[in-house]
Amino acid sequence: MVTPYPPVRDGIASYAQQSVAALRAAGHDVEVLSPGPSAAHHHLDLVGSRGALALAKRVRRYDKIVVQFHPDFFYPQPSTERSRLEESLALLAAFRLAREVEVVVHEVDYRHGRGWTPAAVAMRQMWRQVDRITVHSTKERTALLSAFGPSAARVVVADHGSSFTPFSSVDRSTARERLGIDQDAFCFLSIGFVQPHKGFDRAIRAFRGLTGAARLDVVGSVRVEDPAFVSYAAELEDLAQGVPGAHVHLGYVSDENFDRWIIASDVVVLPYREIWSSGVLERARLLGRPVIATRVGALSEQSAGVEGVRLVENDDELRAAMYAAAGGARPAAHASSQPWLKASAGRAAIQAQVLARAAAERGGPLGATSDVGTVARTSQATAPLRRLGDVQLTPVAGRRGTRTLVQRVVRRLTAWQLQPMVDQINSLRRATLASIESVASRDASRPGGDS
Amino acid sequence: MNKDRVGRIGFVPARYGPKIVGGAEIVLKQMALGLQARGWDVEVLTTTALDHHSWTNEVEPGLHVEDGMPVRRFPVDDRVVPERAALEHAILAGEKLSIADQQRWMNGGMRVPELYHYLLDHAEDYRALIFTPYPFWVTFACSQVAPRKSVLWTCLHDEPYAYLDIFQPVFSGVAGLLFQSGPEQDLAERIAPRMANHAVVGCGVEIPAEYDPDGFRRRHGIEGRFLLYAGRREGAKGWDDLLKQLAAIYAKRDLPFTLVTMGAGDVNPPPGMEGRVVDVGFLDDDERDAAFAAADAYLQPSRYEAFSRTIMEAWLAGTPVIANGGSAVVRWHCERSGAGLCYDDEFELEQCLAFVADEPDDAAEMARSGRSYVLENYTWELVLDRIEEQLLSWTAAS
Repeated sequence: MVTPYPPVRDGIASYAQQSVAALRAAGHDVEVLSPGPSAAHHHLDLVGSRGALALAKRVRRYDKIVVQFHPDFFYPQPSTERSRLEESLALLAAFRLAREVEVVVHEVDYRHGRGWTPAAVAMRQMWRQVDRITVHSTKERTALLSAFGPSAARVVVADHGSSFTPFSSVDRSTARERLGIDQDAFCFLSIGFVQPHKGFDRAIRAFRGLTGAARLDVVGSVRVEDPAFVSYAAELEDLAQGVPGAHVHLGYVSDENFDRWIIASDVVVLPYREIWSSGVLERARLLGRPVIATRVGALSEQSAGVEGVRLVENDDELRAAMYAAAGGARPAAHASSQPWLKASAGRAAIQAQVLARAAAERGGPLGATSDVGTVARTSQATAPLRRLGDVQLTPVAGRRGTRTLVQRVVRRLTAWQLQPMVDQINSLRRATLASIESVASRDASRPGGDS
Repeated sequence: MNKDRVGRIGFVPARYGPKIVGGAEIVLKQMALGLQARGWDVEVLTTTALDHHSWTNEVEPGLHVEDGMPVRRFPVDDRVVPERAALEHAILAGEKLSIADQQRWMNGGMRVPELYHYLLDHAEDYRALIFTPYPFWVTFACSQVAPRKSVLWTCLHDEPYAYLDIFQPVFSGVAGLLFQSGPEQDLAERIAPRMANHAVVGCGVEIPAEYDPDGFRRRHGIEGRFLLYAGRREGAKGWDDLLKQLAAIYAKRDLPFTLVTMGAGDVNPPPGMEGRVVDVGFLDDDERDAAFAAADAYLQPSRYEAFSRTIMEAWLAGTPVIANGGSAVVRWHCERSGAGLCYDDEFELEQCLAFVADEPDDAAEMARSGRSYVLENYTWELVLDRIEEQLLSWTAAS
């Protein structure tokens, strides 16, 4: 099996590990090859055509190759026409040499299979070489057949959670005790890798205003040190600061820990902006926890007939569903859910509403302030800081050539010194913003203050 | 107005031609044509380069008549000294450079020695020499050949270059400085307390006779609602930041807009924006106006604007503006006109876009006052009247 593998914490690694366990339990002799050092028997850097060709040298040793497929494992990112062509040809060679190939698709970009460029043609050929392609929904199956044109008989739909087994055996009370959650609290959980498309910020915003013993825990880690992901994680922390009851727990989450959180929760919230299929949904199902999820990707199909899954269409429905789950409370009106002013109110009033809604979305101390005047004045004061944005190390272009190579080397040699400085600068900017907003909010809430 | 239109006026932009993308150069061309039409003896003194990145000599040197305008072109010496990049970096990082280093920076890039020497020989043939923008070598060097005749179409921005010592003599020693907005003049007064004669004259905008938004959509195959950006696609204009912010916003919420862009420069969409940006290239005036009319909103992401003609073009077309509030000038226009919203970060941009997405009719109604704002302040007739008044006051016929 070619796959990321534990102890690397990764949804696909976890999925693969359970598949391996199931295959071995059925009497198969399974060896695992992972893209980096792990508990796998072998490891090999698979990114780029060299990786695929190295894989090709090994495949004849096995009766069957199972590939847990995500494009990032094989295709350089960002990919180019040339890199896709080279990689697809190299994988095609590897698949041809293998006696039997099964590919389990976790994600793929269908666009790259369309058209008549050499890269698109090579990619279609590569997929057509696969003996069995496993997807997790009929929607994915249809899209994959349309984009890559493999024989329909070879593409099968498998239940995402068919091999899943619990990693934790604790009960709810123990799980809560170990996680420091009050036994009486109503606990929403959003868990998984922290990436913008997971939409955890939507859960925090939807949760805002729920009073009493309810809490929302956002749990996960940043999977890759992509500046956008790192920045999103910081944004979540900032956002949660301004929402009482919301907690963000960033850090490594083991499989046991992952399940423990689900066991401790009352409702798992999956506010995805996009997703193929959800392993978290399967684990919640396995562990008997209800789920509120957005209707994206193949989640409708994945959750069809599953008890306790409520799908929502938008943020308003998400909010209503969370409020209903927590005891039927009615969402209070909030800046970001109030209707826009009409043009007749004038530009200044609409601009003030833009600032208030943005402050609420941004979170932090100012996000909790309802006084429009305070928001406007503070926003004006913090504008120069906010305009700065986060500092990021200049990305190295994905092209080949000496210049790019030199840039990569320089980046590697200097990143250990530069990245901490970049992080510190960004932390400093955020802390300064939070300080200004805290003072302004505190002054506004005092008797005789701005409000 | 009774005018004594005696004497030749030389306009001295670093680039001149029909396909120049750059606000200052376009305006100077319009101004030259406008004054020529009013009876002034006008000439353009410029380089043989058209691209302000490479400064490659692309057209023939010498005197030509281009669309009725006499144009003298001089070749660029584009040999850049190796240390210039480091000096530029130091300036942008806010380091205090010695005067010698500032001069090395200024003279380490493109230069036009033959233009300089032409002016040395012939400055007396001109009543006034009008330069733009202030940080270019042509303005810096050539405006000092005959400073009593030199007038700056300043294009001052709140940027590190503006604070260099070497520009103080330029700001204080020329015949006069023309400003396009109150905030630009305020900035100049802060930077150069002993500034020469100066006045706010605004900037002229052509008023289209009609718009063809449906035709624009049809000709470019654009369906659905879209946001528009017009101009140079480069970091200094806020293009890269805009794309990054839009990518982050689109990752969070579904907005019904594609981004249509016209002008020059690579698009370079970041991850998340692939397929959402439509580049229609460089458009002629009619097509440009049609694009403004077809858009749901015009985006102005630049923090360094001395006037921003494009927001005027959007307002004339009845299109609301969403602008980077970091530009005091654009904020000033938005507040005075009541026809544009400003943002200072991704969250505010998101809300501005949400307003246009959710309430298109109210957004269009808000934009309506923009057209009258432009017509009451920035027609070429009004602006040329103000410019002539200052030229007559600051310069004398030879």
